[in-house]
Amino acid sequence: MKRLLGVALGILTAIGGFVDIGDLVTNAVVGSRFGLSLAWVVGVGVVGICLFANMSGRVAAVSGRATFEVIRERLGPRAGLANLSASFFINLMTVTAEIGGVALALQLASSVHYLLWIPVAAAAVWLVIWRVKFKIMENVTGLLGLTLIVFAVALFLLKPDWMVLAGQAFSPSVPGEETVSAYWYYAIALFGAAMTPYEVFFFSSGAVEEGWSIKDLVQSRINVLVGFPLGGFLSIAIAACAAVVLLPAGIEVTSLSQVVLPVAEGAGKVGLAFVLVGLVAATFGAALETTLSSGYTLAQFFGWSWGKFRRPAQAARFHLAMIICLLVGIAVLATGVDPILVTEYSVVFSAIALPLTYLPILIVANDPQYMHEHVNGRVVNALAMVYLVIILCASLAAIPLMILTGAGS
Amino acid sequence: MILGDLLGLPVFGTPSRGSAAGEYDGGRLGKVADARFVLDGQPHQLTSDARLLGLIVSPHSSGSFLGYERTEVRHPWPLPQLLRWRHRGSFLVLWEDIAFIGREEVQLRQGFTAYSTALDRPE
Repeated sequence: MKRLLGVALGILTAIGGFVDIGDLVTNAVVGSRFGLSLAWVVGVGVVGICLFANMSGRVAAVSGRATFEVIRERLGPRAGLANLSASFFINLMTVTAEIGGVALALQLASSVHYLLWIPVAAAAVWLVIWRVKFKIMENVTGLLGLTLIVFAVALFLLKPDWMVLAGQAFSPSVPGEETVSAYWYYAIALFGAAMTPYEVFFFSSGAVEEGWSIKDLVQSRINVLVGFPLGGFLSIAIAACAAVVLLPAGIEVTSLSQVVLPVAEGAGKVGLAFVLVGLVAATFGAALETTLSSGYTLAQFFGWSWGKFRRPAQAARFHLAMIICLLVGIAVLATGVDPILVTEYSVVFSAIALPLTYLPILIVANDPQYMHEHVNGRVVNALAMVYLVIILCASLAAIPLMILTGAGS
Repeated sequence: MILGDLLGLPVFGTPSRGSAAGEYDGGRLGKVADARFVLDGQPHQLTSDARLLGLIVSPHSSGSFLGYERTEVRHPWPLPQLLRWRHRGSFLVLWEDIAFIGREEVQLRQGFTAYSTALDRPE
């Protein structure tokens, strides 16, 4: 049981990357427009995030340093600040979207307008961050988030033509009515979501929160190898459900209720109950992850004391920063902006944040003064260099494609 | 003056006698890329006080070495090669060999010694 719960950090981290509110909708949009022809991107993203999250977890376990401390130290103040600004904006936008997401999920469950749920959602996030122990937080949200597996169950119950789905996934092509640039825009959006930087910030800081040391390296690897593939699996299941139900019906996904439509059709009321719990847990987990990541990055860059393992009074600036982030999130949402739209623009900031996050992790994971005998092996280094090139290409192409396609519309 | 003001300043040699004003012996040598310290001052519980040994001057870039000035760090290919190429011709000049540090430039004494920037692992 201890081993089983030991992977909660990996699962919670992956939920924030693969099935947070933006991704829930993006996956369904992709499924309803492109079928499974973009599933390969999720695969590429899962391998990439496993590679670098494992490195960041190893660096944290061996040297006791979280990722943004490493970034600040290796890149220096100027490039570090560029990364901080970009990743902090991604964080803030995602925090905003997730609070909105929790509210939208609660609206779906209660029929009470989501704007009324927003203060409740934000207050709940703050309470958990202020009071609840890290271990309990990750176990509860991680486990409840797993109920999203109901998407995979619903897919089976829908009895799809598996050959067609496999055909779309393994010999991908751009569907006739879609443009090539829209296809690649969504490819980059999915890849960027899979590799989004707050995952490694959260994962490595979580490793420090849990006090990992060299003897926890196996634990770190299990976390990575269970959590992220599971996240990728959920993400493909959501897209597949949309591909089976929404694509043939010509339904264009614009809201959360359309995302859960295939589950209701396939698995009925019980499925719907599960998916509602899953949606609330996943968006709530992602809200916790991104709020904490905002605090972690700021505190680690400026050298404040941080961590939930300290009492709030001992990490006052860390907690204050997160309170301000939540208040900003509420303020933005109060304008009535669509929470789901907010995450779509975070792809722009990924362009700066992704390379400046993963390069220093790679460099430090190779530094014998930090890592002793636990430096990267040759295969990991070769793969990581390939991914750095992919990341660089994706981040350079992100903004032009976004402008060209009008954010994929 | 703080270290941040010093980094990136252009470094010149000393004007040789008889040359016109503004002309330097050896001309512009590069930019200040880093400062190097040694821990050989007053010993304390954890470490000793740091003493400024000298400045790293790099002809092509004032960017960071990202840790690759240490010869024991050799991975991942091709990052060390790229960074060492970017800092080709860089040298360490001792604090004693610096004539003056101005707002806009650093000037070295005549006959200064250029040491290698490489850091070998202390055994």
